[in-house]
Amino acid sequence: MTHSLRKYMLAAASALALAVATPALAATELTVQRFFGACDAEFGTNTDVSKAVGECGIITSLINKFNADNPDVHVIVTTVEWPGYDQLTAQFAAGDPPDIVTVHHSVLGDYQSKGLLMPLDDLLKTVGVSPSDFTDASLSGVTKDGKIHGLPIDNWTMLFHVNLDLFKKAGLVNADGTPKLPASVDELMAQAKQFKEKTGKPYFVQNLANEVALYTRNLYTYLFQQDSDFFADPKQVKMNTAEAKKVLEMYKAIYDNDDTTKDLDYAASINAFLAGEGGVHLNGTWVIGDYTASSETSGTALNAGGYAVYPYPQLFSGKKAQYADGHSWAVSQKDRTPEEEAAIGKFLKFFNDNDYEWSRTGHLPAVKAVLESDAFKKLPHRDTIAPIATLGTPLPSTVQRQFAIQDIIGQEMNAAITGQKEIDAALADMESRINELLANI
Amino acid sequence: MAEATLSGSASAAKAATRQAVQNINAPLWRNAVFVAPYLFLFVTLLVVPLFWSIWLSLHKADAFGIGRFVGVDNYFRLFRDKIFIQSVGNTFYFVFLTVPALALIGLMLALALNRKTRSAAALRAVYFSSSVLSVTIVTLIWRIVFIGNFGLPATIYGWFGATAPAFLSDPKLTMIGIAIATVWWCIGLPMMLFLSALQQVPQEIYEAAALDNASRWRTLWHITLPSIRRTFVLVIIIEIVLQFQLFGQARLMTQGGPNNVSKPIVLYIYEAAFTKWDLGLGAAASEILFILIMLAAMAQYFISRRRGEEG
Repeated sequence: MTHSLRKYMLAAASALALAVATPALAATELTVQRFFGACDAEFGTNTDVSKAVGECGIITSLINKFNADNPDVHVIVTTVEWPGYDQLTAQFAAGDPPDIVTVHHSVLGDYQSKGLLMPLDDLLKTVGVSPSDFTDASLSGVTKDGKIHGLPIDNWTMLFHVNLDLFKKAGLVNADGTPKLPASVDELMAQAKQFKEKTGKPYFVQNLANEVALYTRNLYTYLFQQDSDFFADPKQVKMNTAEAKKVLEMYKAIYDNDDTTKDLDYAASINAFLAGEGGVHLNGTWVIGDYTASSETSGTALNAGGYAVYPYPQLFSGKKAQYADGHSWAVSQKDRTPEEEAAIGKFLKFFNDNDYEWSRTGHLPAVKAVLESDAFKKLPHRDTIAPIATLGTPLPSTVQRQFAIQDIIGQEMNAAITGQKEIDAALADMESRINELLANI
Repeated sequence: MAEATLSGSASAAKAATRQAVQNINAPLWRNAVFVAPYLFLFVTLLVVPLFWSIWLSLHKADAFGIGRFVGVDNYFRLFRDKIFIQSVGNTFYFVFLTVPALALIGLMLALALNRKTRSAAALRAVYFSSSVLSVTIVTLIWRIVFIGNFGLPATIYGWFGATAPAFLSDPKLTMIGIAIATVWWCIGLPMMLFLSALQQVPQEIYEAAALDNASRWRTLWHITLPSIRRTFVLVIIIEIVLQFQLFGQARLMTQGGPNNVSKPIVLYIYEAAFTKWDLGLGAAASEILFILIMLAAMAQYFISRRRGEEG
């Protein structure tokens, strides 16, 4: 009896020892946290990246492929709701951040200034990725204090997504079939009026409800176009200006004239545009792939007359510019084994090598060679949006808490445009709230 | 001899026990063992964080470290901040919208379903079922219901060619929209509390009332309602404390907008601490919320107790 008990105990101890020893032989685990949505039902097991469409489909398939190609590394993905920074901040505070995480170029500085991100220069060098591979916009987006703090994967901006069928009905098409876009505020108002008279629908499809980002990006774009140096001092914004007032007055007129959809949130605005509820959807580069796919499906509103996409028109006489930002993979600062660092290096190199696949989303590639490649240029609509490579302008990288600033601008602009607040009062509050925020960093 | 010694020591022990029992005012410290696990959790998870957050509110702090001591500066900043004052007003408005509705609708449902039929049991389950959902699901459902152009009001108004009210973007309606979703979600608890109270009212009183030919209204007013008065107070206090802490619904349905009209205090605290990384300010706001909830609950308690004593 005692003998058999001892035997069982020895067996259990051996099993335990084996179980403890196994991880040394097992794949190195990396935790990756990302936004871009969840689409496991459609792409959860897909490793053929060329079959994937849209941000979510492509990133899910890319990570699946990385796991399949690298049996010695296992990537565990956590998908967070966009943008996920509140959660990330809490994770950092709790000392439990993911290894690799999606971070906007505009946000890298917040975490980098606290020493939470790992400088990647040396790691990228070991896997053969050189800073000179990146486009200038991407390199400057991820460089903080002279060091690279994220692997840039793209640059993005907002665009005019056009329903050509409605534009034709509105008589706003050139002889070559391209849409007539405005070249001044007055022209925009006139075209929007004509559009509504001819089609009975609003010119713009905008997500004005439950939204802050769209308002902010629109304001930045048209401030750049008026040469307004509103962040000359990164610690103090100037928003209560004649230039900002002009932008708000323009959007308020669009709202008051019913030249835009109202009361739609982001998801509803996409549905409305795909259902042909308006002429121009103000949305980012990331929907080009999805909208192109919709326009190629018979019976859809975008299939009826076609889909086109353009940078924001130049409405003011200043610098030709529009607001841009970018996405990157940042790596948290942690004590790691050489195997773990090597696995991270592999992951970053994989994304750098597959930047073309990611650029199929509609984003501008971060890798210069991809941007200049024929394969990229042949992707749908890349000819019309090519100018954004030079138009794209970010905020100065020294401006911190850009997402908190975005919340303030969005709230105040929404109040002014929908008539809950006078424009002057909204701009004054916007300025004082942002400056209060920046003064207390 | 040995027996005698044994019995002698036993009697001494008995006397000692008797003496211990006799002193009924002496604390029995061993009983502390029974409350120790709870006490430990209560102190570590509630009391320590409470004092820690008061300490934090006196500092310029972010999620990554406590900075310099700033005294009550964070509190001054709060009271200078129009958005904070607005969020306090919003929270009171929300409590005003939801607490009476939850108490009255909960009571009406309990009165209607306080019977032993199968349909009443089924309906009790139906009305309670929404309470088991998470806030994410609840807000998802109500966002779809309220969505412009395609939602339920839009569809119904569409039949009559009218424009539906925009519950998620009209500044006059957003708080009402959130209140509707909240009442739908939270109605189960008050209903159950009222049901359990109703079932404890002695049947004899109703029988006596029936013998006196009392009308149903009179029975409700003079027997049922006075009998469940304490539960009514309990429901009000619980709901005030709960609804003061509105967060998830506002965060997920409107993000506090438009123009901050649906931003409650907890969302303000969240944004200060996690979006602006201004943990000291967030901690100061949470102390204000703590005081407000305590005052509201205490006021309710004392008013009801005084009335109870008068009655």
